[in-house]
Amino acid sequence: MKIGWNWLQDYLDLQGMDSDRLSVALGMLGFPVESVDETGDGRVLELEVTTNRPDCLNHLGIAREVSARFGLELRVPDLSEPPGRVVANPGARVSIEAPDLCPRYAARVMSGVRIGPSPDWLKRRIESVGQRPINNVVDVTNFVLYELGQPLHGFDLDRLSERRIIVRRGAEGERLATLDGEDRRLDPSMLVIADATRAVALAGIMGGMETEISGATTDLLLESAYFEPLSVRRTAKRLGMRTDASYRFERGADPDMATKALNRACRMIREIAGGSCQGPVIDEFPRPIPAREIRLRSGRLTQVLGVSVDPDFVEEVLGRLGFEPEPQDESSWRIRVPSFRADVALEDDLVEEVAREYGYERLPTTYPAAAAVGKFSGSEGHKRRVSSSLESCGFYEAVNYAFTNPGREEIFLGRRTPLVPIANPLSEEHTHLRSTLLPGLAESIRHNLNFGNRSVRLFETGKVFFRRGDDLEQAQEEPYLGLAATGSVHGPFWSGASEPFGFHHLKGVLQMLFRKFGFEVEYRAAAGLPFLHPGISAEILREGRRLGVLGRLHPRLHAHYKFSQDVLVAELRLDELYGRNLEDPAYQVLTRFPSVEHDFSFLVDKSVSFATLINAIRGLSIPELRDIRLIDLYRGSSVPKDKVGLTLRLTFADAERTLTLPEVKHLSERVFSFMRRELGVEGR
Amino acid sequence: MKPVDPTHLWQSFQAELQEVSSKPALTRLRDRYLSRQRGLLTLQLRGLGRLAPQERPRAGKSLNQIKGRIESALAERGRELEAEQRRSQLESERLDITLPGYLPPQGRSHPLTRVRREMEEIAVRMGFSVLSGPELELDHYNFEALNMPKEHPARDTQDTLYITENLLLRTHTSPVQIRTMERQQPPVRIVVPGRVYRRDTVDATHSPMFHQMEGLVVDEGITFGDLKGTLELFLRELFSSDLRVRFRPSYFPFVEPGAEVDIECIFCSLRGCGVCKRTGWIEIMGAGMVHPRVFSMVGYDAERYTGFAWGMGIDRIAILKYRVSDLRLFFENDLRFLRQF
Repeated sequence: MKIGWNWLQDYLDLQGMDSDRLSVALGMLGFPVESVDETGDGRVLELEVTTNRPDCLNHLGIAREVSARFGLELRVPDLSEPPGRVVANPGARVSIEAPDLCPRYAARVMSGVRIGPSPDWLKRRIESVGQRPINNVVDVTNFVLYELGQPLHGFDLDRLSERRIIVRRGAEGERLATLDGEDRRLDPSMLVIADATRAVALAGIMGGMETEISGATTDLLLESAYFEPLSVRRTAKRLGMRTDASYRFERGADPDMATKALNRACRMIREIAGGSCQGPVIDEFPRPIPAREIRLRSGRLTQVLGVSVDPDFVEEVLGRLGFEPEPQDESSWRIRVPSFRADVALEDDLVEEVAREYGYERLPTTYPAAAAVGKFSGSEGHKRRVSSSLESCGFYEAVNYAFTNPGREEIFLGRRTPLVPIANPLSEEHTHLRSTLLPGLAESIRHNLNFGNRSVRLFETGKVFFRRGDDLEQAQEEPYLGLAATGSVHGPFWSGASEPFGFHHLKGVLQMLFRKFGFEVEYRAAAGLPFLHPGISAEILREGRRLGVLGRLHPRLHAHYKFSQDVLVAELRLDELYGRNLEDPAYQVLTRFPSVEHDFSFLVDKSVSFATLINAIRGLSIPELRDIRLIDLYRGSSVPKDKVGLTLRLTFADAERTLTLPEVKHLSERVFSFMRRELGVEGR
Repeated sequence: MKPVDPTHLWQSFQAELQEVSSKPALTRLRDRYLSRQRGLLTLQLRGLGRLAPQERPRAGKSLNQIKGRIESALAERGRELEAEQRRSQLESERLDITLPGYLPPQGRSHPLTRVRREMEEIAVRMGFSVLSGPELELDHYNFEALNMPKEHPARDTQDTLYITENLLLRTHTSPVQIRTMERQQPPVRIVVPGRVYRRDTVDATHSPMFHQMEGLVVDEGITFGDLKGTLELFLRELFSSDLRVRFRPSYFPFVEPGAEVDIECIFCSLRGCGVCKRTGWIEIMGAGMVHPRVFSMVGYDAERYTGFAWGMGIDRIAILKYRVSDLRLFFENDLRFLRQF
């Protein structure tokens, strides 16, 4: 809202105050100054007015606030009926057919008006608030709008069929050419102003072209009404319109201002454009709006503000703001709310008025007693454990938008997935909610490769969203963890080359993560994951449930993203990790007796997986066998094509005593002969 | 064997010792003088028997003295040679310590996570518990129960992404206030960090997805003064202990009285600069006393209990703390950016 420094002084004597001091004061009253401009009418302040204060979308309203703050007298312009004789016939007929949407409609006919340019002072005023001067009558209605906040509209009386105004709902299929040149299609949800035959204006939003005041107009009908905020808001929103009038009506105009603003405008038009009021004010007011009365207790002021406020101060500032406080007993008032304060409905609204005038800066600063110890959320420990593990493995945390579109997900996942759609998306890229974190991470990898980061490791935790059947309201969200990595394992170091980060590096990262959660998981060669390389992909299972997947991106996606190096990804369901209580570790007794290691090198069929070997050995249940470790794997020229050479290191120990060499030999032999017999391994 | 003057023997030993520069040479020198069979000194000692009996004690004593001196000189030289050898061994192992170290792989948490944690830690120290809630939220919790019925003008300022008429992407973390108060009776003292969404186009200062932290205190006897004290303390912990904080009236439908909280511009300390639009102050959060209608929606007795709530943008705090010029950087995941935190 633009407020002119000179204009404001029509209503206040700001002796000695400068606009900087006023700006600060307005800010502390709840109307921060966003910018200051110099105009032909002097300095103009751009104020931010919150949606609850339509009464301050004009100069008089702001002047009232300033007068209360500084104890200044408010000079209200003359709002009484203009003097002069009028005939009994008002010159037009007004009827309200939709009183639920239009509680009040005032109008007045003026005749003999000479339309022409406005005087310079008026043009400057209109320009100072960012408007374009049009003609003297329109400029006066705009002036009154910015002075009093009441939107007015002037019709060319001769163009109103039968000189009638009917306030009614639009008819289905009815059309209206509005002043902005658009052809509007009306319907019964919209309130229109009509004459005897057709709609001539969108109530509270914009007038129509056909009844517009022109240079040839001599007789006019001035409208000053109060429309239901919700109706104006709905219609304006449906038509995608926002005008100075709709902006005020939808926030709540002052029903009492309808006739007063009309008087003000008629006085000004007579003065500037000549003409006279033909008949009396027409004032259809089928639904009078009763004044609100609210009880304010001084105890409530203290309870909310933490300070006891002087009753005289309360009465004075509320009075200056237009309230009528009437002491009811020792410690409370009955307070009549002025018609322009649609926002004040409860006692606490008055508490705020007192606090604003008292000054937030003067209220005491205290601290509430803390009743309990503060706690992090249940999953915060888990979150930190996840991120510290991954950070220590070289992963940076990424954050991607939670949006996607079906094309992107389909390209990535290699299949169509039911996604949660956004009903009113803003862009074509962001039409749905993601069902996986991986496309975002793959795009982040691409971004980094493009900018010369050749080794990239990223992780992201965030919600993904799923549909459950056709009912979108059953849509679910679930926290996921995504990982993506490419480049070399370390370095580059000057001492030598590094190996590329591959499947087993990522698996190692996950193994470490699961170890931190005390999780036993199983890796199973994955099938049916079109976004992963079919031979380099795994499902991660825990107690039979799928916890996540891991693998190298499918060559199809390498081509899609133009990756020239392998990109590894993994995705996990965090609910599984977060659902587990983080217990304190339980110390296990260290054995005092030395352990003995025994290495065993052998050849085994390629078709036998490592997991098969290990599980078979574990199946022997040898209590002294404490650890089995793969320390070498080779498939060189010395090894037949269908075989692979492995070296296992077995560690034996006993908690009670030192194992003897013959005992260890015997135990190893048990393992080796079992493997020869059952798994067909050949010793080397 | 002709007797030799022991003094000469000592002098020739010393001269030869001078020439010794290695352990084998030292062993050879020892053998030359002290070996059991042919050592020069050994032979002299062996020749003592041929001397006149009255001369023997003196000559013997003198020879034994020389022997002692030779032995200790040999031992000392031996230690010297060992030390020298160690030194040259170590010298040969010398590295160019100015070569770069092998950096272990390292990752970091996202700056937004960093700020969130810092804010949570402050809140927990102040006795707040941290809660969370769904991102897909019902219109009821996001708006209705917060005193923003359908078509309330304040909804315009939070342009919303809808899934259906009733289900939306939450526009703030405030719904968790309602969910919490529905679940428990006062006292309530919580903060709620989380991800929120608005129907905004991406640019340097806007993002359709960002992060907030909401706070709520409800108890008997909570006043606006407590709001001021708590938030001032919180912001001073977050920025600096002498930070100036300002409270201005403002409007949020779910609080009354409502306040906008400003901090002194951390770039210019109230002098006025581009960041604070020459005002010296930066808007940092919205706050206020919980609206009695909100209390009645959750069944709290607004006569008995009062409370305050606030909401602040985590992204905005990160922008201020780390002086990041463009919000989009937080969502690009560029390692050149992420490595800086």
